[in-house]
Amino acid sequence: MKLDLVHDLQEAYRKTLDSMSRPGLISNIQDQASKVALEISNFNPPAPLVMVLMLFDTEVKFKVCSKREAEIAELINQLTYAKATEIENADFILVLNDADPEEFEQVINSACPGDLHDPHKAATIIIEADSVSNDRDLTLIGPGIEIESFISVRTSHNWVDLRADKNSEYPLGIDLIFTDRNANILCLPRTTQIWQEVAG
Amino acid sequence: MRIEYNFAFFDEGSKREIRRATLKAVAIPGYQVPFASREMPIARGWGTGGLQLTLSLVGKKDILKVIDQGSDESVNAVNIKKLITKTTGIKVTDEASEATIIQSRHRIPEIPLQSGQILVLQVPLPEPLRYYEPSELETKKLHAEQEYSGAWLMLFEQIMNYGTMSTGADHPAMVHDRYVMAPSPIPRFDNPKLNHSKALILLGAGREKKVYAVPPYTRVESLAFEDFSFEVESFKNKYCGICGAKGVFLDEMLDDLTGETFYQCNDTSYCLQRLNQESAGRGIYNDRV
Repeated sequence: MKLDLVHDLQEAYRKTLDSMSRPGLISNIQDQASKVALEISNFNPPAPLVMVLMLFDTEVKFKVCSKREAEIAELINQLTYAKATEIENADFILVLNDADPEEFEQVINSACPGDLHDPHKAATIIIEADSVSNDRDLTLIGPGIEIESFISVRTSHNWVDLRADKNSEYPLGIDLIFTDRNANILCLPRTTQIWQEVAG
Repeated sequence: MRIEYNFAFFDEGSKREIRRATLKAVAIPGYQVPFASREMPIARGWGTGGLQLTLSLVGKKDILKVIDQGSDESVNAVNIKKLITKTTGIKVTDEASEATIIQSRHRIPEIPLQSGQILVLQVPLPEPLRYYEPSELETKKLHAEQEYSGAWLMLFEQIMNYGTMSTGADHPAMVHDRYVMAPSPIPRFDNPKLNHSKALILLGAGREKKVYAVPPYTRVESLAFEDFSFEVESFKNKYCGICGAKGVFLDEMLDDLTGETFYQCNDTSYCLQRLNQESAGRGIYNDRV
């Protein structure tokens, strides 16, 4: 079935909003993602593309980090008219599974954290992970979490410390949205603090 | 001529603009995110901010409740409900516990909000510092520097002049220990309901083009002093003349004929629900006077 740009994207938005307001809450957008996959086959897995269709338009500047950056940036531009730009100026940054670890580090370090007058101008980074789950790997605390919540994010990138450094000066910071192969989404706004258990 | 509007009135571009702003607002609790507010078919100052938020959120499965100063049936609430139902076809309700989206002007329902719900508050003046600083550029600086002594001074002067904090409604609150926020003109009675709320609370100001948010389980502390604490309106020894409820926000009414003062629930659907439950004989309320 074709993706309904009104109702399917509304559902995806509500799930994203739910996950953004309750960090650690994993929502699933498989329904929307599989519809996208039927129409656009060269973007696999398709969950990040649902985010793109939901949020991008001519007002948005974005950056894609992937081995297929040129191809994907062109596709996004054709679909949404959003403009590709450099990391520093991007409102949204897509980090796909095949991005280099160095490039990922550069994304986190150079992404716009907003400024004290306009912290909302900070970048939102959409990261493709292998899987996200509520396994007890990382502990989250902060607004949106009653006491604490637990997540596990399997990705080739080492993001926890990089993010902590970047978000050390609240209200400046970056907001992360993770998607995985099963179209689960997990959001980490800049207010969420992460505790990592050290083995031993 | 019959115009076929898009689902939820807005074009998709407008929804995207509001959705992007809302996600940022949730990520920075209490910070006012500017957004490209749209012209609406109701007058500015009549809930266009709340309406825009609701329209950006609403889907086919939602159940909507709209309250205007505690009432489900006053002009503002009825017209907003009409616009939303005509352009979406969704179900509306008066019962706070049944609704998935509650849009409200100046009240938070008496029935505690639940985790699946979103409360949308209509905000006329989103800037808590506007009372003493007319410039937007300056207030943005004050928020950036977390320089809120003016807000404290405003309360201090009220205490000096009147012996009490005279904020009848819209008592400023500190969100997540960072931003001072105008909670919209809800009575002080409702301020504590913002703290550690189970539901997501979104606030929209259409004329002032701002969206801000209080995520669930977020610390919201009404401004007060160590030696002069924040107090809600007191309804001690008063009760609703219709349903007998105590410990709720009451409206003071005057009987024209007898000149007597009496009180009734400000939240009309709560009052009605109590009466219905009582007449159905469930008898779960034993506090009727």
